[in-house]
This record gives sequence, structure tokens and C-alpha cells, in this order.
Amino acid sequence: MAQAVARPPGTARRRAEDRRGGSRGRGSRRLPYLLIAPAGLLMLGFIAYPMLSVFYYSLRHYNVTKPWRDGFAGLDNFTTLLTDDPLFWDSLAFSAKWVVVEVGLQLAFGLALALIVNQTFVGRAFARALVFSPWAVSGVLTTTIWMLLYNPATGVSRYLADAGIGEYGTSVLSDTGTVFWAAVLAELWRGVPFFAILILADLQSVPRDLYEAAAVDGAGRLRQFVHITLPHLRDAIILSTLLRAVWEFNNVDLLYTLTGGGPAGRTTTLPLYVANTGIHGHDFGYASALTTVAFVILLFCSILYLRLSKFGGDNR
Amino acid sequence: MTMTTPLRAAAALCLAGSLTLTAAACGDDGSTGGGSEGEGAGSITFWDNNGGVRTPVWKEIIADFEKAHPDIDVEYVPIPINDVQSKYDTAIAGGGLPDVGGVTTSYLANMVAQDALEPVGGRIEDGSLKGVLAESMTESVRAAGGRGDEMYSVPTSANNGTLWYRTDLFEDAGLAPPTTWDAFHDAAEKLTDKEDNAFGYTIRGGEGSIAQALDAMYGQSGITEFWDGEETTVNAPENVAALEKYAGLYGDVTPEADVNNDFVKMVAQFDNGDIGMLSHNLGSYQDHLKAFGEGGFAGLPQPSGPGGKRVQVSNPVDGLGLFKSSDNKGAAWKFIEFAAAHEANSAWNESAAQIPANSEAAQDAWVKESARDNGAFASLTDGSTEIVQLPYYLPDWNNISKTDNEPAFQKVLLGEMSAKEFLDAMAEQLNEARAEWQEQQ
Repeated sequence: MAQAVARPPGTARRRAEDRRGGSRGRGSRRLPYLLIAPAGLLMLGFIAYPMLSVFYYSLRHYNVTKPWRDGFAGLDNFTTLLTDDPLFWDSLAFSAKWVVVEVGLQLAFGLALALIVNQTFVGRAFARALVFSPWAVSGVLTTTIWMLLYNPATGVSRYLADAGIGEYGTSVLSDTGTVFWAAVLAELWRGVPFFAILILADLQSVPRDLYEAAAVDGAGRLRQFVHITLPHLRDAIILSTLLRAVWEFNNVDLLYTLTGGGPAGRTTTLPLYVANTGIHGHDFGYASALTTVAFVILLFCSILYLRLSKFGGDNR
Repeated sequence: MTMTTPLRAAAALCLAGSLTLTAAACGDDGSTGGGSEGEGAGSITFWDNNGGVRTPVWKEIIADFEKAHPDIDVEYVPIPINDVQSKYDTAIAGGGLPDVGGVTTSYLANMVAQDALEPVGGRIEDGSLKGVLAESMTESVRAAGGRGDEMYSVPTSANNGTLWYRTDLFEDAGLAPPTTWDAFHDAAEKLTDKEDNAFGYTIRGGEGSIAQALDAMYGQSGITEFWDGEETTVNAPENVAALEKYAGLYGDVTPEADVNNDFVKMVAQFDNGDIGMLSHNLGSYQDHLKAFGEGGFAGLPQPSGPGGKRVQVSNPVDGLGLFKSSDNKGAAWKFIEFAAAHEANSAWNESAAQIPANSEAAQDAWVKESARDNGAFASLTDGSTEIVQLPYYLPDWNNISKTDNEPAFQKVLLGEMSAKEFLDAMAEQLNEARAEWQEQQ
């Protein structure tokens, strides 16, 4: 037999309030999801869909000019590129060399320029504007400037030949021994300001009293740089080199317009090879497989770099 | 900080970085849609496949057309010649094709294979263009489409390979115009003085190099057929020897920078320097006229080879295609008929210095004057030249003649690959492509 249990006064009222509060609570729990939904949908549409589409086509034979060949390929495209495509390995090796040299040199020059324009001197504002100006120039315009400089009829080589240095009709872009460094120089001109801007922004947040204290303790400028400046810049350098490495790996515009990947394929990066295979060769299945492999390489290298560099860790 | 943040950062970076790459491989199933005839009025879009250079004359033709057909509005879209094929491919895959577009026979087969173009043979037979299009050009269009006798574009003009030379430099050197290959090589050598920035010839080593190399190769070997049975003749011993001789010009009588020469760079080299000769087609006439003025240059047909025989490879025939996806095919066809008719076709070809497809336009005074002034203009039709028909009908032709072999030809110029290795590899690709194409017929 059930016994009546005495309820404390006000219990029913509290339960009614809880019910109303619960409904408000569920609503407020949904609110954040609703707020991020537009961003989530955009990411699905503009990132997830293209990526999944590439993964899908990488498993297919898909050449728009040969519809009779279309169909499921399994891992055929990957097997071909890994075992029977010297162009893939050549372009990957060139991409690696391009990224290491470009990012290394851009960092070194960017750091040096940031340190210089961080000093106080007459005309500093003008010097800063001058340092940062190449970053405002579009990729195609950068190429045009450098193509004019390298032009055999109107560029630097012509004037050098007039002065008796070198020969007429030559260009650093047509010589397999110089084309790499000629392209590196053009990209360096465009890329250095990126590092200079980021590093300068971080340099300005270093507390001045650290330098004053170090100076009082007898530390010279080099020791101050090594023990104060560099540790402070550590995360900025890691992040900017990673960003720049990804961008340089994916670089298409400058090399495509400056050298077209030549001469004789000497400046063909992996993305240029993808563009040639997909856009000019119409073989979108194979181009998708190349893209997938490039993505995996980038992802692996990025994770490895962040782990080794302990990005975000407090090692100061 | 835990490793979660770096992992997330790396993933985000790679996602962002991969976007540029993924764009290359995005696409749907290539469906072009059925389109419809429409009401014969309204708005149509026209893509010019050589936008920029030809824009003024097209704007004039469009203005005349809109005056004659006030109920039709033509939206003109100029596409740079180097980008046109990728623009078409992108539009075929992703949508957005025009109603009418300029299409040359060099990529016609690709577009037919993708089912993008409407057959136009029936419309020609039933309309005002019946019987007025040059038979040689309609044959080229039929052959290039690769679908039997059906036509997938209306021919508007033909081009021809031309040896442009500087009359002043030849006169100064006491040289006669080079009408034979031997005279050509002799002149190239005599006009070269590297110490004084003077070169006998400029060679095309970059984009578009293969067709030009084949032209010089067949011209010197005298071989007149591209196929010998089931096999191509590109690697015949006479052709190997001819290509070795042609590639040997590089560096000796040409600037070394020529290895990267595309059309623009090559013509700029010729027009801005002291270079004796340039092989291109009729289309660069206006550039040379601007640079040297009347009388400062002249054009010749391809030099004659063994036994006085002149042989050259076929040049693409330009035309207008009607797209299957058009929802206003009636109005689009009216525009094509207008542009290929006597008056407009004559005006366009006179502006572009090319050979009209309209046989009435081909009788105009300016055509006769051009033929008199430039042998290359007349040599296509006067019976003096044997044409080696390039296999534009192979869906692989564009890959073989561009993407696959242009870097290899640069290796030949740089001495990193022999002409025989280059031609053997190309022959293998061509034989395979032909066998595959035949299987699909």
C-alpha cells in the first residue's frame, strides 16, 4: 500500500519553474550550433565537397576527351604515379627543393629586414613602406616585372652584353643551370615582405625592459638577439614558415607564367604537373590522384613540423 | 599546450592549401544539357577564341548583325587564345558554355568527344551557306571532327605557314629571298653575327613548338603522308635527319633564349631585334607591319625541299561552333550564318590577314592583292604545295603535340635528347592513340 509522502512546501512550484527553465536551457544549448551553422555549411560546401570530390575522382579513370575509358580505377592511378611516373618524382623533388630554398631565404632576409626597420632612424616610415611594397604586387605583375628584367632583347642581359659581359640573345630563364635561381630570386622579392611584416609585428611586442636588463648585465647585441629576440619570435617564425611552406608548395602563378615549368621540365613543381595533367591533358582522374598524394604529403609534413618544433609550447 | 592545437592547425593549413589543387579536379559528369531551338530572338553569348587581337573586327561584325537583327542581342566574350581550350573544358564540365564559340580544328575532336557541339551539316544544307564554303576547309572540318561526314563547326578561315624575313637585312647581306631549304640554312648562317647581336633565325622552343618543328621536318624530308599504313611517318629516317638539322639551328644561328619561345616571345624577338627570319603563319602580319612598316619585311611560303617539292603540314581551320547546351539555337545559328556570309567573312579575314572560307569572299580584291604580295597566301590553293594532314581527329593529338612533347623537344634543343629518341617516343604515342581511336569508330 502506497504511503502518502509529505512534500515540502513549494515543491510543485519549483518543478513547474524547472520545466520552464529546462525548455529555456535546451534553447540556449542549441543557440551556439545555430550561430556556427552558416560557417559550418560554408566549410562543407567549399572545403569538404571539393576534397571529397577529388578523393572520389582519384579512384576513377576520368579523361574528358576519352569518355569510353571512364570508370572505377581502384588504386590504379596511385600505383601508376608511385611506380611508373618519373615526372611525379621529378616534380615532387623539385617542389621540395623549391620550398626549402624559398622559405629558408625568405625567412633569413625577412628577419634581417624586420630587425632593420624596427630600429629608430630618420626615414623609417618610408623604409618600412619600401620593404612591404612587393607584397602588394600581384603574382602576375611580379612575373611581368621579372620577365622584362630577364628579357634577352630588353633586359639586364642585353645591357651586360653591351658592356662586354656575357653574350647577346641569352636569358637566365633559358639556361638550365640558372633558371632555378632566377625563379627563386623573383619569388624571393615577392615573399620576403611577408616574413618582414609578421616578424616586425612580433618584434614590437618584446618588452623593452628585457633589453635594458640584459644591457645592464653586460649582454651585447648578439647575445640579446639570441637570448631575448629569437625566443620571443619562436612561435611567429614557426607559424609563418609553415604557412609560407604550404603556399610555396602550392605555388603555381609565378612559375607558370615565368617559366611554364621549363625549360625541359626543370621548374615543374607538383602543382604545375597537376595543372598540366588536369587542365591541359584533360586527365582529371590522374590529376586527382596526384592532388590526393600532394595533400597527404602536406598534411604529414605539417604535423611532423609542428610536433618537432613544439609549436605553442612554453619553451622560453 | 597539448598536441591537439598543432594537429588542428596543420589540418586547417592543409585544407586551405589543398583548395587550389582541388579546384583543378572539381567537376561533374560533363553533361552539356539538351538545349533548345528557342524563338530565334533574344540574347545569345559568343566566345571569341582569339580575344584581344580580333576584338575590334568582331565588335564591328556584331554591331552590323544587331542592326540587321534588332531582336537579337549578342554578348561578346573575348577569350585569350592560350586559355580558350581550358575555358571550354571547364564550361563543359561545370556549365556556362556560350551559344556560339570560335573553334579551330586543332581542338575540335576534343569538344566533339565531350558531346558539346551541335552537328551543323544539316543546317548548312538547309540555309544560306549551302555551296559557298570552300570545299578544302569543309573537308578539314569533317576530318577533324572524327565522326564520319558530319560537321561540328562552320569553317570561317584558314591559315598558312609563312617564312617572314627582313628585306633590309637580306639586301644588306646581298642575299636572295630563301625559296629553298638550302638557301634558308645558308641565309641563316650568313645573317648571324652574335658579337653584334644579329641572328639569322628565331626558333620556337616553348609553347606551340611541335607543329612548327613538324612543319620544318616534313618540309625538308619531302615526306607527304603522316601515316604509312597503321604507323606514323614522324620517325622515318628522313624525318629524323631533317629534325636534327632543324634543331641544330638552335644556339648557332638563333638566340639561346629561344628555348622558351612561345608565339608572343618569338614574334617580339623578331619584331624588336636584328633577326633575319621567322617561321610563323599569316596571322602575325599586323605585328610585323607595325614593327617594320611596308616594305621592311616580306612573307614567303615554306621553302622547297628535295626535288623542288614544297611540303608543309596542315594548319588548323578556324570556325564557329553551335553549342548543344544553347537554349537559343535559332538565334545563334542566325549569327553564325551572318558571320560566315560574304561581307562579314571578308572583313574578318582581311583584318586577320587570313584566307576566307567563304568562296565569294575569296574572290574579293584584297585577297588577290594579298596573294600577289605574299606567296604564302596563295600557296595553299595554287597547287604548288603538298600538305601533310596532321591527325587533329585524334582525341590525344593535343596532348601529344603539346603537354607530352613540348618539354621533350626542349631537351632536343638543349642537346639532352637525340632527335631520334624524341621522334621514336612520339611515334609510339601516335600509333597507340590511332589504334585506340580506330577501336572507338
